[in-house]
Amino acid sequence: MPGGMQLKTEVLATSTCALCGACLDWCPYLKNLEDHLVLRFDCPVTEQGRCYSVCPRTFTDWQAINDRFLAGVDYDTDIGAFQTVYRVKSRQSIRDQQDGGTVSTLLRTALLDELVDGVLVTGKEDALTPWPFLAEDAAEIEKAAGSRYLVSPSLRKIIEAREKGLEKLAVVGRPCQVQALRKMEFNRPPDSPALDVLSIGLFCMWSLSWAFKDYLAKTYPGLTFSRMAIPQHEVELTSNEGIKSLPMETVQEFIRTGCRYCLDMTSELADISVGAFEPVPGWNTVVIRSDRGKELLDRAVSQDLLQAEEYPPEELNRLRQASRNKKARGLRNIKQAAEEQKLTPFIDMSQPPYQAIMEESSGKEGF
Amino acid sequence: MEWMVKANEPGKTYLLQGNEAIVRGALEAGIRFAASYPGSPASEIMAMLGRVAGEMDIYAEWSTNENCAFQACMGASMGQVRSLCVVKQNGLLTIGDALHTAALSGCKGGVVLLAADDPNAHSSTNEFDSRHQARAAGIPMLEPATFQEAKDMMVYAFELSEKLQQVVMVRSVTRICHGRGNVTLGELPESPSQPLPIGEWDRLVAINWFHDMLFAKLDQAQAEFENAPFNGYSGPENPELLIITSGTGWLYSVEAVEALKLEDKVGILKLGTTWPLPEKLVLKYLEKTSRVLVVEEVDPVLEQNVASIIGHNPGLNVSLFGRYKKSALPQSFELNPDVVINALATLMNTEYQPRQTGEVPAEAVVNIPPRDLTFCAGCPHRASFFLLKQTLRIHEGNGVVMGDIGCYTMGGQRAGHFLLHSVACMGAGINMGEGLGQLSRFGFDQPVVALAGDSTFFHSCLPGLVNARYHDANMLFVILDNSATAMTGFQPHPGIDINCMGQPANSISIEKVVEAIGCPVVVADPYEIEATTQIVYDLIKQPGMKVLILRQPCATLAVRTKGRRKVWVDPELCRGDECGCGRFCSKTWGCPGNIWDYEAGKAKIDEVVCIGCGVCATLCPAGAIKVEEGGAV
Repeated sequence: MPGGMQLKTEVLATSTCALCGACLDWCPYLKNLEDHLVLRFDCPVTEQGRCYSVCPRTFTDWQAINDRFLAGVDYDTDIGAFQTVYRVKSRQSIRDQQDGGTVSTLLRTALLDELVDGVLVTGKEDALTPWPFLAEDAAEIEKAAGSRYLVSPSLRKIIEAREKGLEKLAVVGRPCQVQALRKMEFNRPPDSPALDVLSIGLFCMWSLSWAFKDYLAKTYPGLTFSRMAIPQHEVELTSNEGIKSLPMETVQEFIRTGCRYCLDMTSELADISVGAFEPVPGWNTVVIRSDRGKELLDRAVSQDLLQAEEYPPEELNRLRQASRNKKARGLRNIKQAAEEQKLTPFIDMSQPPYQAIMEESSGKEGF
Repeated sequence: MEWMVKANEPGKTYLLQGNEAIVRGALEAGIRFAASYPGSPASEIMAMLGRVAGEMDIYAEWSTNENCAFQACMGASMGQVRSLCVVKQNGLLTIGDALHTAALSGCKGGVVLLAADDPNAHSSTNEFDSRHQARAAGIPMLEPATFQEAKDMMVYAFELSEKLQQVVMVRSVTRICHGRGNVTLGELPESPSQPLPIGEWDRLVAINWFHDMLFAKLDQAQAEFENAPFNGYSGPENPELLIITSGTGWLYSVEAVEALKLEDKVGILKLGTTWPLPEKLVLKYLEKTSRVLVVEEVDPVLEQNVASIIGHNPGLNVSLFGRYKKSALPQSFELNPDVVINALATLMNTEYQPRQTGEVPAEAVVNIPPRDLTFCAGCPHRASFFLLKQTLRIHEGNGVVMGDIGCYTMGGQRAGHFLLHSVACMGAGINMGEGLGQLSRFGFDQPVVALAGDSTFFHSCLPGLVNARYHDANMLFVILDNSATAMTGFQPHPGIDINCMGQPANSISIEKVVEAIGCPVVVADPYEIEATTQIVYDLIKQPGMKVLILRQPCATLAVRTKGRRKVWVDPELCRGDECGCGRFCSKTWGCPGNIWDYEAGKAKIDEVVCIGCGVCATLCPAGAIKVEEGGAV
């Protein structure tokens, strides 16, 4: 496994970095500020580079990882291996909850039932600026409620969790972060301690560059925002002077380049994935993938903390199509960048599912 | 040594450093006023004058820059006292206009300009030859070849200056300034020169009317030089080859003739008065030979002046060799006896067997690793360069950094992660930054950063700062304030509350100056790497002219005044050599205090050099470097 200089060449210099944060805080050469992640000084490590081995944007055999962590679960080429899909909401309302309050409730259950010693979540400095933290107390989880759209390298906190001796951890992450968590364990050197993580993957279309904050400051001088949401093809920002709406196209300009190459909308390698349930506000879509994920949801439902209902088949098809659309866009962007020699594909493009998606979407535009 | 310099023991011989000999000469000449800006190889002169100023009843100052120093000397000269101005080669160029105008106006009390050159640039960025300036300005010049001459020429120069009413330059080089030799002392005056009243019609005015007078003074100097005690010939009556030499070239020439046993074939004309040349004396020896080799440091100044004499005397039949077009000697870098011996051997068609210099043991060669110039242990500049480099990389905007002159010039090398895009002269950084920053109006979008130290700030950045502020250049000016003119030896500057003579001074606040000019200014601590990185990052994102002062006293000073904290490595926590850090502390941070224990395969602190700043402890990703609680730094 190569080291930092190769990571710089393949990932940082090509802007494919997803800013998951998996490489950070272990390594003194990699440095993050806001949404920049750079190799601040040349790295002398040329073998067994941890950064290279955990990065979701270095070449990976995703099939092998899926087969190891989600063995025996039926594989779906659109939304990954899963057991069941539900629509879910919390029985109690949670302050600042984005949709159904499901993630907060799952985390609370995991902590209270001592399935984990701690949880890694992303709170906020202000309404927009993400602020990752480790919580060992269920009361702290509320601070992380609500969605953050600006990118955050929250997986850096894995190092802190290890230093704190948190052996069993629940991590809420974007698809890239779930991928990185799986790679951490998959490529773990045999002499280092195992990473026991319950992964709660979020649905994710993209993350925004921090330049979006500068844009808002310039467009709405003096306003402070308390919430951001994307109900239907429009971005809503709740401010001290009411709700401001921005057209989707405006916001899309701030999508990080690294997100444009992403093929995963539903956190396909997670134990359990959670997103919005679009037809009815206040509900979540929950994808049960591993037995561990199933156990967590079952516990929350059996304790009457969550309400889970059958997922409408037509909605499952819509979810599949949305996920397929993201794959198609990502594949197109990777192909185009590879043709322009901006990057070397970090996936095996020749695999039949990818080929099929590229064929059916040929001629369409990427975002 | 101070006591030797001021010993009232005429006829007694002491081993003096060249710079001490110069000080002694100035004291024997009865100087009352001396001014300088620090610069190697001349720095010791003013430091010594400052130390003896009280007892010798003279005034000595470290001026804000060389221009201040030289023109202060001209002012003191109006009061009829003898004044010494000391500069290095760059400082001499700084005073170009002042020197040319002073040469036009002439002086009253004697003014001697001691210019110390640095052939090979041992402690400079260049090896400029000061002698061009004496010729360009039209002032007489002397070049000492020995330590005794370094002293004696000062006395001669002041007398000549007063006789001609003209500034006289004495040109030294590093080997004279920093070498040591026997010097027999002369008499000290009973009291130094006393200021005289300036009459209503006394003038020192530089105007073109006096141009011919300038030449008349040069003619007068030339007549004096024909019989000056510093010129002389040794060798056969009609040498096959004549060496004409000045300064340190003389000893090399003597050694070369001896080494090749050419005493009966080669003659040496040693010149101590090299502008204007004593033409009759030179002609006398040119007529006795057909081949001439000129040996001098650095440029072919003497050579071309001799060429000029040859050109004006068509009866001569002389071939000229020297450094010009490398006809016999290299055209750049410092000479040494071997180079001169080789050149002479070639010209005289003799074999030269290099002398036995003693075998260097092979293991000594193997065990000497190549070493970069680097910052001292705990140097705040290391932290400043580290955080500036990382901030520009984090910002991902390809920031451009204009360097300046000081310890931090080394930051252009590995010690500063090759941060600097330009290095020129004192004050160049802010001016080059201003120009580049103005290109933002044409779409240039890389951040522009200019650096300067605190002493350089006062020396030559003030007009640049005014210019950049007035024109609102898009740039960040970073003042690396270590509260010292560190590289040249901790001489005071206007930010320090003590002067050259050790008396209290009115120190000037850099931030107040910057604020008064109207620039937004932030003061930050370079040791606080992460917090200061954020400050720099925020500043470079802002448009317009910004100033950041990175303030932390020079570690060498700090450890003298505050003592040191203990720092050590916990080997249990140190991750060793593999991925995890790859020896980040010793390899990348690069402080001489961070070393590697090859046996244990772990990092280690060199307790002899570590000053306990503790910055490496904040950088170690494993938290393995521990710092004693409390403590001073």
